[in-house]
Amino acid sequence: MSDIIFIGLSLSSILLLIALGLSITYGAMGVINMAHGELVMIGAYTAVLAGLHLGLNLFFALPLAFVTSGLVGLVIERLVIRRLYGRIIDTLLATWGVAILLQQLIRLEFGLSFFGIHIDGLGPGLQNMTVPAFLTQPIDVAGMTIQPYRTFIIVVTLMLAGLTWWLMYRTPMGVQVRAIMRNPQIAAACGIDVRRVSALTFAYGSGLAGIAGVLLAGFKTVMPEMGASVVVDGFLVVVVGGVGSLLGTILAAGILGQINGIVALASNDIIARAVVFAVVIALILWRPRGLFSFKSR
Amino acid sequence: MLSLSNLDSFYGRSQALHDVSMSAPSGTILAVLGRNGVGKTTLLRSILGLTDRQSGGVVLDGQNISADATFRRARAGIAYVPQGRMIIPDFTIRENILMGGFAAQGPRAIPEIVPKIFPYLMENLDRPGGVLSGGQQQQLAIARALASGPKVLLMDEPTEGIQPNIVEQIEDIIIRLNAELGLTILLVEQNVKFARRAAQNFTMLENGRVVADGAIADLTEETVTKHMAI
Repeated sequence: MSDIIFIGLSLSSILLLIALGLSITYGAMGVINMAHGELVMIGAYTAVLAGLHLGLNLFFALPLAFVTSGLVGLVIERLVIRRLYGRIIDTLLATWGVAILLQQLIRLEFGLSFFGIHIDGLGPGLQNMTVPAFLTQPIDVAGMTIQPYRTFIIVVTLMLAGLTWWLMYRTPMGVQVRAIMRNPQIAAACGIDVRRVSALTFAYGSGLAGIAGVLLAGFKTVMPEMGASVVVDGFLVVVVGGVGSLLGTILAAGILGQINGIVALASNDIIARAVVFAVVIALILWRPRGLFSFKSR
Repeated sequence: MLSLSNLDSFYGRSQALHDVSMSAPSGTILAVLGRNGVGKTTLLRSILGLTDRQSGGVVLDGQNISADATFRRARAGIAYVPQGRMIIPDFTIRENILMGGFAAQGPRAIPEIVPKIFPYLMENLDRPGGVLSGGQQQQLAIARALASGPKVLLMDEPTEGIQPNIVEQIEDIIIRLNAELGLTILLVEQNVKFARRAAQNFTMLENGRVVADGAIADLTEETVTKHMAI
């Protein structure tokens, strides 16, 4: 039983990293970023490329993917999202377009495949990231089998969730982000540079997606389409948890990841998906604004 | 000195202000009068650049800020006490006050005058802003505006929706802020009696246009009846 919960926890962790970025950007800017999954994908490819070409392992890939996905996120914000604030359907469509564009960039190896140049680790095929050997050997501790890679995922996520909490609740930057979430006009009238703070928030959320991509690459095949399914899961967590609520996001990721893990082991992955969707529908009917949402007077 | 020249302002395609000009000399209170829906709130929002589009001049101490983003106008020295207070209910009182500090020149701090005029806020700094009564929330909104160390205070019906025994206290504080801190205040009011007591000058709006202005002493009952009676 304990290892089932453990698998569920590691699934929850990746869900959480993906959903944290979405929750912050949706909460702070009202932007539904359909390209968030592709930022996860870019993180995964960063890890693959860093391993193949630079000989860097997982530990170096994590910060590298954070920076890469963060910068790509910043560019998306500058070029597309910034021009569409307040137009939620337009941003949804535009970022969907960005998502397709990013997938094709990887498939076409940034266009180099037209010139007959091939880069190892890119292209339409499947890729793999090698996990360091000491993270793949199960360890027996007091009769329990511990999967080190799953443990690693959980630890990284806990650290990043802690960092995010600290940034949001203990720094002036966090106060500005939370103020913008509640009332962007009053925030601006109080001297907060809403555009700059929003851009940085978006980059941070994108960076978290990149890290999620690296962790995901450790036990899933890396391919250009991998982002599409994770973005749906991410949104489920955000909707269930309540927009802009850190605690809600953590709890929702925990619940959905555990349900997925337990049902998948008891039956199969497809039933698990169905159960997750059923639970989400029930939760939304029960609490339309999510488990946690700040009260407005 | 804050002066507006030929200010037009728009929400979407509808024009809410037409060719509005006025000026508030430093250290004075300018009362902005008129019925509901004539553009008084829009006027304040336009000064901060919070409407969809605007043209014309907004000049603060010789510096034209009419093309600047809202946060730059706030940092230039304009603070806003909006209608309905707009404090953040789940932020603590301290956080709400310090929020104004993002527009301050120096570090973010609770202004020195706040303990003197709003002792209740100081005793409850760690309580959420949402538990306060209407009058206390108004105090909080004023404290937040003061935290930016402003030159000009824009106040939108500061006594509206506040229990009668607190109204006079808020009125006295507005006069005191003007007298002690030398703040220039744009005071949007429906209460002519208070406007007469506090302001040096007035501007009367109707349908987004200035229809009368001058020294408050020259505000006749006839003008008030013509443009404010319902």
